[in-house]
Amino acid sequence: MSKPLITGYNWAPDEGRGLVRDMRVRWALEEVGQPYDVRHLNWGEQKAPEHRARNPFGQVPAYEEAGLVLFESGAIVHHIAETRPGLFPEDPAGKARAIEWMYAALNTVEPPVWETIIAKYIDGKENWAAARLPSVLGRLRERLGELSARLGDAEWLDGAFSAGDLLMVQVLRHAEGSGILADYPNLPAYVARGMARPAFGRALADLRAGLTGKPPADWPY
Amino acid sequence: MSKPVITAYDWVPWFARGQVRDLRVRWALEEAGQAYDVRYLPQGEQKAPPHRALQPFGQVPTFEQGGVELFESGAIVLHIAQTWDVLLPDDAAGRARAIEWMFAALNTVEPPLSDYAIATLFEEDKPWSRPRLPAVIERINERLDELSARLGEKEWLDGTFSAGDLLMVAVLRMLKGTPMADRHANLTAYVARGEARPAFKRALAAQLAGFTGAPPKGYEFLDQPPAEAS
Repeated sequence: MSKPLITGYNWAPDEGRGLVRDMRVRWALEEVGQPYDVRHLNWGEQKAPEHRARNPFGQVPAYEEAGLVLFESGAIVHHIAETRPGLFPEDPAGKARAIEWMYAALNTVEPPVWETIIAKYIDGKENWAAARLPSVLGRLRERLGELSARLGDAEWLDGAFSAGDLLMVQVLRHAEGSGILADYPNLPAYVARGMARPAFGRALADLRAGLTGKPPADWPY
Repeated sequence: MSKPVITAYDWVPWFARGQVRDLRVRWALEEAGQAYDVRYLPQGEQKAPPHRALQPFGQVPTFEQGGVELFESGAIVLHIAQTWDVLLPDDAAGRARAIEWMFAALNTVEPPLSDYAIATLFEEDKPWSRPRLPAVIERINERLDELSARLGEKEWLDGTFSAGDLLMVAVLRMLKGTPMADRHANLTAYVARGEARPAFKRALAAQLAGFTGAPPKGYEFLDQPPAEAS
């Protein structure tokens, strides 16, 4: 199989914490033991026509392999799990449930996580931001509480570590800035188990090694 | 193959009729030509323990068939596509791209649209609803402009109609009645092509026919649109 080429940034606002979505793809590739190359973009280049041809929404990551060009981190992780052993259970029902958790991470848990990030960091300067925040955090609490109840004392969401856990851990890492994740103690422990995986560590180290760029001159924060 | 059982509500507020996410699953099953049964939940039961055992987030739809129990409409649509061998191209690269559009619909396009629903329906009476709206609309328009540019003059997003188109059309239908609805003629026409599919029409009719329940106490005012809007 030819070596995939993914797209990441050489600088991003998360200061090397591995919250940008190429981290999901790097982690998945490390889990299945697939070496890869990285095309690093300067911040801003993601909106240029050359990259938009790969990703119409002007974001990272993109994934290129033997003529196949993919965007959407969830779809790329799915493709990696589908084509290499390690991230999906072998039985069809278990695989369907792993995919269920991938969608749950991205379509049910991530939206209120992002809403919280927008509310705190982008809308934060607005004079109504403080009054609105409890309503936003209420929606996030509802989802975190439900996820926490389902996870219970289990190590992973459904049997062995899967692509569903990989995406859920990355989404929850983004929720840490909300300040309320620790109210659901099994969730930070779950995140810590994910981050303790050697593949996670390798992915993060490689991501950080690629951060050789600078913030744009007009970066407002 | 045994008949799948899905869950849906027997009542939702007027503005949600034709938009509840079991529509996506019904549509996929209709495209597959697979008959199905529906277990209807009165409002509130989705949060009770029996349904939570199937759906930890207390939502619909769920899907049960021959020992497979699933939640998340996107995951169920993919399961249907793979099990009945419909809605996905035969070649591996084409399949990967159809799945790419499924995730794009649910993880890139739907979140800003849901934000508009939060602002105009759930937070409508809050003092921040109006001042916040321009930024919400700007985020939606950015995504619509990008999607429109990629779709161009094509009939569907990538070759023949796929599970990616099914979810994208279902998501774009959320724009109906909003100021962003007709921003791009090619997206309006794309949604209309999706809605013209016989399988979609059957799915929509079936969802609407299932609303036979009564509103919960205190929610009677949401049973019909306000007079000035009707």
